[in-house]
Amino acid sequence: MKRNPLGSGNWPFRFGALALSLAIAGAISRGADDSVQKVEQGKKLFQERCGYCHRAGGTGTIMLTRRLGKDRSLLEERTDLTVAYVKKITRVGINGMPPHNRIELPDPELDLIAFYLTRPASLRAADTSKEGAP
Amino acid sequence: MRLVLPPGVSETVFQKALQALAGVVGKQWVLATDEDRETFMDFYAAGDADLHVPSAAVGPQSLEEVQAIVRIANEYKVPLWPISRGKNLGYGAAAPCMSGTVVLDLARMNRILDVNERFGYCLLEPGVGFFDLFHYLQANKIKLWMSIPANAWGSVVGNALERGYGYTPYGENTRNICGLEVVLPNGELVRTGNGAMSNSVSWQLFKYGYGPSWDQLFCQSNFGIVTKMGMWLMPEPEATLGLNIQLPNPDDVGWAIDELAPLRMRGVIEQSPSIGNSLRFVASATQRSQWYQGDGALPDDVLLEILKKNNLGWWTVNLRLYGYDEVNEVHARIIREAFRKHVKQEIETVKWHRGDSIENSGAGVPATNALQIINWRGGRGGHIGFSPVLPAASEHVLKQFHSTKKRYEEIGVDYYGSFTLFERYTTNVNMMVYDRDDQEMTSKVRALFKVLIADAAREGYSEYRTHISYMDDVALTFDFNHHSLLRLNEAVKEALDPNGILAPGKQGVWPRARRPARA
Repeated sequence: MKRNPLGSGNWPFRFGALALSLAIAGAISRGADDSVQKVEQGKKLFQERCGYCHRAGGTGTIMLTRRLGKDRSLLEERTDLTVAYVKKITRVGINGMPPHNRIELPDPELDLIAFYLTRPASLRAADTSKEGAP
Repeated sequence: MRLVLPPGVSETVFQKALQALAGVVGKQWVLATDEDRETFMDFYAAGDADLHVPSAAVGPQSLEEVQAIVRIANEYKVPLWPISRGKNLGYGAAAPCMSGTVVLDLARMNRILDVNERFGYCLLEPGVGFFDLFHYLQANKIKLWMSIPANAWGSVVGNALERGYGYTPYGENTRNICGLEVVLPNGELVRTGNGAMSNSVSWQLFKYGYGPSWDQLFCQSNFGIVTKMGMWLMPEPEATLGLNIQLPNPDDVGWAIDELAPLRMRGVIEQSPSIGNSLRFVASATQRSQWYQGDGALPDDVLLEILKKNNLGWWTVNLRLYGYDEVNEVHARIIREAFRKHVKQEIETVKWHRGDSIENSGAGVPATNALQIINWRGGRGGHIGFSPVLPAASEHVLKQFHSTKKRYEEIGVDYYGSFTLFERYTTNVNMMVYDRDDQEMTSKVRALFKVLIADAAREGYSEYRTHISYMDDVALTFDFNHHSLLRLNEAVKEALDPNGILAPGKQGVWPRARRPARA
């Protein structure tokens, strides 16, 4: 029986990016802080669940370009997002973007996505968000 | 959204039912906050989302959990609205027909159970999305192609069950269904076709089984909950050859259909060519205000100016040939000759050979960009689709096109239609794009929808699918012998679902216990 591939995250393009981020993560992680791991998990979830629309060329990116300009169109590059905002918008939707319910996207997964999108500058070194939408 | 109880169910009983459901799936998978209810409502609704308010949602992860949920629903007489992934956008999304219904969200049942390259099929759970299956086939280098609808956010199973379509030779998705596993409204489990033989080795090969064949009875249906679906997938062809043709005039859609229909019926063209008004490309890439600020529908001369600036004809025909290169070339010559009788301009040709990048191949590649059009009007956009089925003949296509366009203009909405050509019929999807905060516009759209149903019915045109707000209206147009088909459906419904717990009102079929809710 074959599992849904998205459960194990085996999109081919992701391996290189993951290896690179882990290398950098290793260099900056300190003590018991699990933020590096959370960023990685959040990034994987973002790419799987939000990437259809919110990576380069995606419909959400195009809509955001129109509304806020190119500089603020890629969510993974934004530094002005807050955890509360990401979570609220995901749940209630905005403009053309429909809401996401807690079955397709449970709270713990949304927490990780919000953590990733609001990660501090120190965790942004391995930014690979310019890859195209899947 | 505040709680709306299922008709005839008290709050105490309802809360007991939710507790029982939580006992099956776990508390975190029973959603019943005000915000949760909002997430299952029809986000793009034309001002009538509050007619279809779910009371709660429950998310099972296994067949056994689905069966247990169905038994609880019967015990407490709480209705369920099954969804695969709830992305039936333009037709109601995840929202139930009847307010108070509990959404049974199957998104967590998302296993790809089998993919067989030799025989070209897959066996899927309902939560598998088009993107999921696509990435699975890519990652495992399986040379099978998918048929994917314009907006690919949704479920492969859900789309086929709702009779959605894609653009490859396997584009009539419901036709590719081969074998279902279904939980009946009483909780019993059945497998259709050859799956009814427990050791069958051809469940996904032979559609009919023995005796009455049931697969289509579970499509657009409230007779059971599909928990597994077999589906045929297309073997990767050796080559493809796409032809894109601009038709300069509105009436060109008539001769185009007449030229293409015989070629489609005879298999010169094996996929379903799409003839769409070119405004859709403009509407996907730009906003209306960039071109026109006036009230009412876009005037014809402004539209012509826009099309000219974008180098587009009034209609764009997209068709593609799949198979051996030599055969494609011969068929392309026949098609080009058919078009050259009418238009002079160059016909764009896009060729792909096995080994080239999948872009431009004509393989189904999932995307969500079709959703861009809802931004056309500005504000918070929404869309709804009116989709009649017509004979593939100019006299019908032209009549319907002119009548619909005129109706759009009467209420000031821009015409946005396409004709997708199948072997003998064409599906005419008409999108209404609106600002959903503009109450005047949405109320006009709702009225327009009813007028379009009546206009079409007068001409003998039925809808292939419809939004939850119009399921009764469309069902009533099937009026032969005083709606005897509806009575047959209701008799089957009664036999299978005496408590009326499954999707009341789906496609106009109401259980006796719920029939008072009919509009």
